[in-house]
Amino acid sequence: MTDVTEDFTTGVGNSRPDADTRGHVPGDSSMWFFVVGDLIIFGVYFVVYMYFRGQNHELFLHSQARLSLDVGAVNTVMLLSSSLFVALGTVAARAGNSAEALRRFWTALAFGAAFPLLKMFEWIPEISAGLTPGTNLFFMFYYVMTGMHLCHVALGLVIMCFVIRNLKTSQPPKISFVETGATYWHMVDVLWLVLFALLYLMR
Amino acid sequence: MATAPNPEAGQARSWRQNRKLDQWIAFWSVPFFFTLFGLVFVPLSWMMPPRSPSSTTPLIVDFMRSHNLLVACVILTLAFGLAPVSYSCYLIQIRRMSVSPAFRYSMMIGAITGAIVGMLFPMFCFGLGAFRPGYSPAVLTMLYDFGYLAFIGSLGCFCVMWMAFGLAILLDQNNILPKWLGYYTVWQYVTELMAAPVWIAKSGPFAWNGLLTFWFAMTLYVSWQFIVYLCIYRAIKNQPEAELDNARPELQPAALDNGSRMGA
Amino acid sequence: MTSLIGNPLTIVWALVTTVTLASWLVARDGGASHQINTTVTLVVLLIAAVKAQLVIWHFMEVRRAPLWLKATTSAWVVGLFALLLGFYFAGL
Repeated sequence: MTDVTEDFTTGVGNSRPDADTRGHVPGDSSMWFFVVGDLIIFGVYFVVYMYFRGQNHELFLHSQARLSLDVGAVNTVMLLSSSLFVALGTVAARAGNSAEALRRFWTALAFGAAFPLLKMFEWIPEISAGLTPGTNLFFMFYYVMTGMHLCHVALGLVIMCFVIRNLKTSQPPKISFVETGATYWHMVDVLWLVLFALLYLMR
Repeated sequence: MATAPNPEAGQARSWRQNRKLDQWIAFWSVPFFFTLFGLVFVPLSWMMPPRSPSSTTPLIVDFMRSHNLLVACVILTLAFGLAPVSYSCYLIQIRRMSVSPAFRYSMMIGAITGAIVGMLFPMFCFGLGAFRPGYSPAVLTMLYDFGYLAFIGSLGCFCVMWMAFGLAILLDQNNILPKWLGYYTVWQYVTELMAAPVWIAKSGPFAWNGLLTFWFAMTLYVSWQFIVYLCIYRAIKNQPEAELDNARPELQPAALDNGSRMGA
Repeated sequence: MTSLIGNPLTIVWALVTTVTLASWLVARDGGASHQINTTVTLVVLLIAAVKAQLVIWHFMEVRRAPLWLKATTSAWVVGLFALLLGFYFAGL
């Protein structure tokens, strides 16, 4: 499976945007197996959250009001920007321009690293104020879901470092690996988009 | 890599001469072990699905002093030794992979600690309730909590084991096991992490009998357990006989035929 | 070398970021924070669905992927948000 993808993508300058109807799976298809599965697993958590929210409106609404909406919004923009540069970096890598790809991935890494940093600015005051996972059901959901997501972010940053190393040291870079790492990172972004809406925004 | 012409190839060969007999014994011990486990934990003692962490004391006391729990503990005590045998299936496969030996040692230690904490401790707790009738309700309640928390909340050990296994599969260049299984294993150990809230919640979806931490985690775990054994079955079947540790000398790859592997 | 400004990916980013800020404002100013507000919820969840679909379609390049991948990811977006909205309204 990887072979087919590599044959398709290692041709330099082989990116014909919309005319492409053959159907190209970016990166390893086993990573897509993981992505779809992870989306489903988080999906179960999201739906169960919504169900329990329906049983405990007052509790969830009052608890939700204690979250920092602003930090959540900034974090969303951080991840989106990081994803943008990952996508742009992937395009550059495919076009054979490793230097540009490297610049873009470093930028993506910077935006991505801002996420856990800002999260600490969110969690630490909350925990100091006595809002812990044991406080109530909403906060248990909040910490468990954002915690699981944060682990995914951390792993994604590690993967991105390996992608950067690959771009620096391999000539030509392994496009399939770059795409696989990119796919994982975008999934992390998508999950946060839903989390942001469910935990911070909805009433 | 051609195998030497083998006059015994084919169905006519006696099963006792199967060079993979050791692996097959270890492999088939698993369904036996799991079935026994299943019987002990479910219909016999009703330990599973887990009772509520917020049960009242009289209910807990009744459960801990019940006759069925006694029988369950007897069977567990006798069957515990099969756990390492079932783990050997994983270890034999990970040994074939191109990754560093650190992975297989992490797996081994993780499996040992996990089995002690996750299986032996609950066995002692529930066994104490069953075999020693004189304890006060307060002590029995503590043993009940200890047993269930050890069983469901013992995350770190198995987490390390499955993390090592999953990562080994993903990094393995010999492709002993399929890559998607590596990713599936990642979910498997995430279920260990998903169980962390059981230490805090005494009711609701995050308790040790909760919708998310027990039922959902079990769905992921049980399906993974079936699938991983199917993959191991195929891996054992497909392993060329010349590569086995106990392969016969005439089937060894020529380059290594200098006596160094004989009697290893 | 693709430039940043007119790049389709940047346009998608600008769009998604704009609606993120919009939904942030809707949630912040759209009503008292301790009360159920079905309008805010509906708007916010639908925007989230659109954002997720855009990121999947363009950043993850599902737009150029085989049909089975397009179908699977779209089914996830549609299915998830249908269930979320369903449980939300059922629980009111």
